[in-house]
Amino acid sequence: MVVSLFSQFDSPWLFSIPLVVLALLVPWKLFVSSGASWAGTRSSVLLESLLGMLMNQVMQPLSKKGFNWVVLLSSLMLMLMTLNVIGLFPYTFTPTTQLSMNLGLAVPLWLATVVYGFRNHPTVALAHLCPEGAPNLLIPVLVVVETLSILMRPLALGLRLTANLTAGHLLMHLISSAVLGLMELSVVLSGITLFLLVFLTMLEIAVALIQGYVFAILVTLYLDENL
Amino acid sequence: MLSRLAARSAAVVAQQNHGARVCVVAPSRLFHCSGQHGRPIEPLPEEGGKVRMGVFPEEWFQFFYKKTGVTGPYVFGTGLLATLMSKEYIIVNNEFIAGGIFVGFVVYCVRNFGPTVATYADKLRQERVDFIDNKKGRFLTDCENAIETEKKEQWRAEGVDYLFEAKKANVAMQLETAYRERVHEVSNAVKRRLDYQLDVENTQRRMAQEHMADWVVNNVVSSITPQQEKEAIAKCIEDLKRMAKAS
Repeated sequence: MVVSLFSQFDSPWLFSIPLVVLALLVPWKLFVSSGASWAGTRSSVLLESLLGMLMNQVMQPLSKKGFNWVVLLSSLMLMLMTLNVIGLFPYTFTPTTQLSMNLGLAVPLWLATVVYGFRNHPTVALAHLCPEGAPNLLIPVLVVVETLSILMRPLALGLRLTANLTAGHLLMHLISSAVLGLMELSVVLSGITLFLLVFLTMLEIAVALIQGYVFAILVTLYLDENL
Repeated sequence: MLSRLAARSAAVVAQQNHGARVCVVAPSRLFHCSGQHGRPIEPLPEEGGKVRMGVFPEEWFQFFYKKTGVTGPYVFGTGLLATLMSKEYIIVNNEFIAGGIFVGFVVYCVRNFGPTVATYADKLRQERVDFIDNKKGRFLTDCENAIETEKKEQWRAEGVDYLFEAKKANVAMQLETAYRERVHEVSNAVKRRLDYQLDVENTQRRMAQEHMADWVVNNVVSSITPQQEKEAIAKCIEDLKRMAKAS
């Protein structure tokens, strides 16, 4: 029973057992490498092809030193995409609508890139705080601004994902409620709203995929800066 | 897992040397040493079972067929759906509408793009199979070539006796040639030496003959006195005159 608009974002519990763990395990169990054939089944071959494409995307901004991170980032991308798309099914819970989870992914990854940069070449990492060609008078201000922008990055990463998905789910909730509500008043209006809902669903699927992609690619870019 | 826990706790109790006797139950079997390890697994079929409407296995419809005929499963499904909806297990709320749209979109994508994606997946799979087959094919070709080469080498090995005989004859001929050349050389050298000795002797004899002839002549010439010479010349002149008269 839907209590309010935001009850869909409540973390599910069953007799004190957090079901969010099960929700997070879905991508892991969904993509199984099939041993039915030595050459691979259709699904395993498609999954390998998809992983190859994702890894290419992650590898493009990175230099050779960053290739150690490719497996982590591409699996992160696939996990986020899967969680987001699975969340669009009816009566499911989307873990990535929780700010805690997204910040829990964003902060350690961002911090790892920053610490990696400061540990390996601190001078270069500090030099990034002052853009090249800046006027001398503005340098102190720019350093402060750049530092703030670096500190804002994990927040932005986590919030972007949370806000996009939450907004999408809310919109779908509202429009589908409108479809149901308008059915009694005007079937035509309800039909138009349903038509709108179809396009919104397609948009939400696209947003779900893109947000996963953007999260991982941004982490890749932050890493590339610090390599 | 619980059996392992029991065994571990029993072992701990046994170690504590209590007065009571403790029966430690050892694990009944170790899996990797037992006969079940490496059990042959039946190969899974290459294609999945037949389904109706994308999700319902054909076997369910066959199960219903004997009792209820062709329409039985459909009536059952409809009735089940109606019951669940009437009992509000499936609630028609906003999420139902949204879910229906989403499922409809997924079904549309599967029906429209499914064959293309399946063809692409089959193509990728076939490339992998072809790669391995080509490797296998090349390996087979290499093995066949190796067999042919080995047979040729064996044929060559059979003819190696004739080869050796021919080589022996060749070597013997060369030795014979070399021997005859050396013999010829030796005879030439000996002949030259003998000719030299002969020439030396002939020269010595000739020189001795000439010397003797010269000595004789010189002695004869020196023994001729001027009186004898005059008498000889006068005799010659008389002879000439007489011959001139005779002629």
